[in-house]
Amino acid sequence: MKRSAKGLRAFRVRCELAWVAVALAGLSAVAGADNPPAFRTGVLPLLTKAGCNAGACHGAATGQGGFKLSLLGYDPEEDYERITRERGGRRIDRAAPAESLLLRKSSRQIEHEGGRRLPRSSEAFRKVLHWIEAGAPYGSRELRVLGIAVSPDDVLLPSTNRSVSLRVTARLSDGSREDVTRLALYSSNDDAIVEAGPQGEARVIGPGATSVMVRYSGQVAASRVASPFGGAEVMNPLAASEHWIDRQIGAELKRLRIPGSGPSSDAEFLRRAHLDVIGRLPTADEARAFLLKPRSREDRQRAIDALLQREEFVDFWTMRLADLLLISGRRGSEEATRVYHEWVRAQVARNTPFDELARALLTSSGRLSADGPSNFFTLASDPRDMAEHAGRIFLGAQIACARCHAHPTDRWTQEDYHRFAAYFARVSREGDFIQSGERGEVEHPKTGEPLEPRPLGARASTAPQGADRRVELARWMTSPDTTQFSRAIVNRVWRHMMGRGLVEPVDDLRPTNPATHPGLLAALAKDFVAHGHDLRWLIRSIAVTRAYQLASRTTGLNRLDDRFYSHAYLKELPAPVILDAIAQVTEVPDAFPGYPEGARAVQLIGTRTPSYALDVLGRCSRDAACDGGGRRGGGLALALHLINGPTINARLRSGVVAHLLAQGATGREMIEELYLRAFTRRPEAAELAEWERMFASASDKATAAQDLLWTALNSREFAYNH
Amino acid sequence: MRSHPPIRCDGVSRRDFLHLGVLTALGVSLSDLLRLQGAEGPGAPRATSCILLWLDGGPSHLDTFDPKPEAPSEIRSPFGSIPTSVPGVRICEHLARTAKVMGDVALIRSLTHELGNHDTGARFLLTGHRPTPALQYPSLGSVVAHELRSDSAMPPYIAIPNDAVGGDSGGARAGYLPGAFSAFNVGDDPSRARDLNPPEGVSFSQADHRRDMLRRMDALSRAVEEGPATKSRDAFFEQAYRLMASSEARAAFDLERETAAVRERFGRTRLGAGCLMARRLVEAGARFVTVVDTGWDTHQQIARELPDSRFPGSGKLPSLDHAYSALLTDLRERGLLESTLVVLMGEFGRTPKLNALGGRDHWPRAGFVCLAGGGVKGGQVIGATNAFGETPSDRPISPPDLAFTILRLLGVDPAKELVTPGGRPVKVLAEGGFISGLV
Repeated sequence: MKRSAKGLRAFRVRCELAWVAVALAGLSAVAGADNPPAFRTGVLPLLTKAGCNAGACHGAATGQGGFKLSLLGYDPEEDYERITRERGGRRIDRAAPAESLLLRKSSRQIEHEGGRRLPRSSEAFRKVLHWIEAGAPYGSRELRVLGIAVSPDDVLLPSTNRSVSLRVTARLSDGSREDVTRLALYSSNDDAIVEAGPQGEARVIGPGATSVMVRYSGQVAASRVASPFGGAEVMNPLAASEHWIDRQIGAELKRLRIPGSGPSSDAEFLRRAHLDVIGRLPTADEARAFLLKPRSREDRQRAIDALLQREEFVDFWTMRLADLLLISGRRGSEEATRVYHEWVRAQVARNTPFDELARALLTSSGRLSADGPSNFFTLASDPRDMAEHAGRIFLGAQIACARCHAHPTDRWTQEDYHRFAAYFARVSREGDFIQSGERGEVEHPKTGEPLEPRPLGARASTAPQGADRRVELARWMTSPDTTQFSRAIVNRVWRHMMGRGLVEPVDDLRPTNPATHPGLLAALAKDFVAHGHDLRWLIRSIAVTRAYQLASRTTGLNRLDDRFYSHAYLKELPAPVILDAIAQVTEVPDAFPGYPEGARAVQLIGTRTPSYALDVLGRCSRDAACDGGGRRGGGLALALHLINGPTINARLRSGVVAHLLAQGATGREMIEELYLRAFTRRPEAAELAEWERMFASASDKATAAQDLLWTALNSREFAYNH
Repeated sequence: MRSHPPIRCDGVSRRDFLHLGVLTALGVSLSDLLRLQGAEGPGAPRATSCILLWLDGGPSHLDTFDPKPEAPSEIRSPFGSIPTSVPGVRICEHLARTAKVMGDVALIRSLTHELGNHDTGARFLLTGHRPTPALQYPSLGSVVAHELRSDSAMPPYIAIPNDAVGGDSGGARAGYLPGAFSAFNVGDDPSRARDLNPPEGVSFSQADHRRDMLRRMDALSRAVEEGPATKSRDAFFEQAYRLMASSEARAAFDLERETAAVRERFGRTRLGAGCLMARRLVEAGARFVTVVDTGWDTHQQIARELPDSRFPGSGKLPSLDHAYSALLTDLRERGLLESTLVVLMGEFGRTPKLNALGGRDHWPRAGFVCLAGGGVKGGQVIGATNAFGETPSDRPISPPDLAFTILRLLGVDPAKELVTPGGRPVKVLAEGGFISGLV
């Protein structure tokens, strides 16, 4: 053998060992032994299970060795053609079935680069042979798998190293049900927590919970598998709360035996709520006023309500929506970008229901420089690209895989994808205008037939076509029945507030990637819809819970928890928020070219305003989605910039230090003021003592104050929302 | 008694041989097993550093290092091909300087994989792992930084201008390794890294004093616990201070210290400056330097875009030719080529057929890689594509093979197990083998 294919082979060797084990274990009968199995439901699953049509083998876009199968068998009719007719039918030998190339290759009686997939002794081999002996029939064209169910679909195992055998049942179009446990494909969403064996054995190897994804014949399902953190029962840290969110979070903590942290201090709460709700720190005066006396739950609620009415709320959530909508300024004129930004801002200010906002965007037309929402369609000119953007933004879905083949981890077919894209086929851009016309189609990639638009996952169009296809799309997408719409936005806001989405990543909602708390996500979405898609209501609902108001300090035992909300998770501040916080603490505003003095970074329109500080802090460029946290900046370059760069250093002399010196403040007063500004708290005794000593030994008060300010802005406490 | 099993003359122990018998029955050949055990490959590594020139977007193999002058016009490059210093090897006419240094280069023409998106393709090439949403694998640069730790003040892994490659795929980042092993991004000015010195008016002793205060403030604060989230930030601050403390390391980032003649030699382009800085950084002890050249996603007008038709002698190919040949020559003259592995590649090749716009689209089935220095035997071509450059006709090389080879040349064991933050053991590479004949 030539040295050549060895690299690829190493991978195959491992696959093969796993699959040999499967084959030796034998495959259970799917159809009766006497009737020849149908190709789609009886033969193809055997090939899929053996790995023949995996992406690295014949399922690759260009096949392997001149033999191509559809990825994981999404196109049975074409696979049947290729197996029985292509190459003059050499792959199937009806006269001498055992001599069929399909069998001789896959059992490696003759050279097969993919190795031995179906050993001759295996039941799968015998079944394929039996099928060829019966004349290799396609069988019923109508018979198909409508859905699969996995049981148990939610299970708590008592400890690590325990396992559960999942059972998978397929529901067929003829009304029958079949046990397909041995033929389904299994994979764990987090194999540091659960390992999934090829036969559906789910073994817990670490505490916590994750899901096992199950795939069979184009259908998908998932089973949540969990095991507790500790051996001992724990108190529900949220037991005192009547709030429905707290009840669900608390119950899961108790079930998984994760101890909860205590409540946050008033100072911690105030800082957190300001940063999360309005994207800025409390001023020293605001901090002083709130910390005058211990605050009740009602006081905290009033504080949240007040924040929701602030002008800065509008700026901050406009920025968040602009991040989501990718308002970068690179796709249209400066004027158009400004108009678009202003429109979004007006919706936030007016508290436009989110479904209404989505409908306005999805059906927009007009002049880019006058009709803000029409800029939505500058995201892409190709209807397929536009469909992918819309899917990500409003459904939190990654549908792109289905462009070229059936989605391997979701239920979308290629036809679903292109029918969805057909909604955008008649939008066009003519210079400064976005218009919806009567011409334009998306064709089926195989047949070339123009496709009628259809909602994702629907079997038929839900309404007759109006003049503008997008009206129907917008109606479907924002309908209360399309729960993925509300779940997607609710999940994004939840992550913003809580530091982790109920589903992660937030742009990958699919049945095989279920939420950590599925019931809670559903309830949040329902509540959001019931309250008129009101973003302020949603933010408030989360902010008033005890779960949101837990301390971030861990108890030790819950240190490892990163998804059950046993404590508040540390959140990095978004780049514009840090920059604004530095400006606010130092009282030295930024000067952004083209903006009035005092403009804050969160108010910037688009992302073209040059700012090395924002770049190195990691602003979302809005070229592509920042959902995945794949932001630039950070690292050593950021550390050097914070230590030596002008973002902090050019703000130490003037501003707050100069003002305090002019007022004749004592060292102690300066220390208190800076702590309140940067950390929303007063220094503790040890801290005060430390810095008073520093002031006493410094050559002059100004230098001491500048050094202290520099230190506070570079400190760990300043860098996080805790 | 001997504590190890008896060894046969060919180095395979009896127990291994029995084991082998089983594996052979399962379709594994002896050579597979030997390779799995890492029996092939170089002896003691000679490379101590690596410079990766990353052609972001996917460089066309047909218009650079794998011309097909005999192919029909819808496939053939709009550019001619020229002979090189290696007999029988021809490359694109716009790579005339490179043609003269091909004696130092092992040209692989059979790189192949199946991931045709910028992000996934880049992640595959830069990490050696097929990307999966379940785990972010570390880039080769991060692995090298992690494995070849040094106390040097020079950051081990540096990106010029930054590590946002492959559609900002994260492929050049630290993945599951601690953030401290991600690249130091030099920034957009290719002649000098910024923020290396204390600001004006702040002496080094005042900077030290502030650092000391920072340590005390963090220690006194109980609000934010140290944890996985803060660890990486803390590590970067540590690294920053180490770098600031070394005047030698800081000087390496300043191209003003080079003569005008040297700067001319590399070309007064961003890529030229990047390559020159990479050489300075390697000289000062950096382990892995990635120089990113963007704009290779040539979906249209290759004939006008690669050499810039408006300004003769400029454009992507001429500036690459200038900078790459200068880098190899300069490293050789300084005696650094033996210890510096230079890799030139992008995420994939491009479609053999020119499209309607005179460009080429993504084509992961075939691509090229140039390896030079670091013990690599130059003046050879490894692998080939078929007549139209569509697919390897000889010795297909996978991204894991390439990653395996790069790591082995640098003395990193690809079979070593690393541990993710979740405590899961993961091999440096899950697959791949050493490209034989390379050294």
